Amino acid sequence: MVLTCPVAMGRTTWQDESSELSRRGLLRAGALLALGGAAAPLTGCGLLDRDEPPPQPDPLAPLLDESRRLAAGLRAAATAHPDLAARLLPLAESHEAHAAELAGLTGVATASATPTAGPSATPPTDRSAALAELRKSERAGREAAIRACAAAPAERAALLGSIAAARATHLEALR
Amino acid sequence: MSGRIISESAEALASALTAEYAAIWAYGPVGVRLSGAERKAAVEAEASHRARRDALVVQLSTGGGSVPPDRAGYALPFPVIDRASALRLAVQVEERTAAFWRAALPVSSGAERERALAALVEYAVRATRWRRSAEITPLTVPFPGRPG
Repeated sequence: MVLTCPVAMGRTTWQDESSELSRRGLLRAGALLALGGAAAPLTGCGLLDRDEPPPQPDPLAPLLDESRRLAAGLRAAATAHPDLAARLLPLAESHEAHAAELAGLTGVATASATPTAGPSATPPTDRSAALAELRKSERAGREAAIRACAAAPAERAALLGSIAAARATHLEALR
Repeated sequence: MSGRIISESAEALASALTAEYAAIWAYGPVGVRLSGAERKAAVEAEASHRARRDALVVQLSTGGGSVPPDRAGYALPFPVIDRASALRLAVQVEERTAAFWRAALPVSSGAERERALAALVEYAVRATRWRRSAEITPLTVPFPGRPG
């Protein structure tokens, strides 16, 4: 067996995700049918006459905001410490790539690329203090992404896993 | 329908097991080309892949799934002749093994998904450490484990 084999096999499994999608679709259809059966006797109570609840924000919205905040923090630190720019800018670009994927997934327009909380305050002038602050943010981001991956439906799990892993590698790269 | 979920998950874990076999094998030629702290890191990495292999063999066999066999040897993607090629292979081993655990995420849930994620994160971080040793830049990739 060649070591390149794993990647090819990984692709096979990747394709399985689409069949997973359709399987979930079937599951959902089944759940709706079951609901319809159970709800039928209740129509007289006016239970189904209520207005539709307002749409909930996507559970990934905070993660998307965080990707943008992390990118903005790294860019601000790279500006304040140009000697760190070569290290920090690739990490910022990764967060921006995550934000683009999450925006596509959650249906948020990519045009609103400004973080809701605004970019963090001016980075510390001390180099190691600036790095320590970035590490703290990446660590919190990693934990949030791990929680999001654990709670995610199948079709989002792989992307969220990669985002969690990326944030963990950033922590390592900032050492 | 739950049978199908179980079989998809078993299939992903069996693939991860074949990757772990290859990783363990690859750390042989990697380790002999390294010394000092890097040799120690290779030994620890190999131990981690062995632990995941053992857990997978137990899980797959108790779950009634088929356990793919290990092989006597694996073809290396390039000859490992010195420290530089050893470090390059170590990076590849971690990144490719990570891809298998990532593929297990959508077909798992609960504790099983947590284990798959822990493996993906651990291997991605180790790949970054090997990249630093090999002086490969950037130290990170945007989507660890994503194919292509």
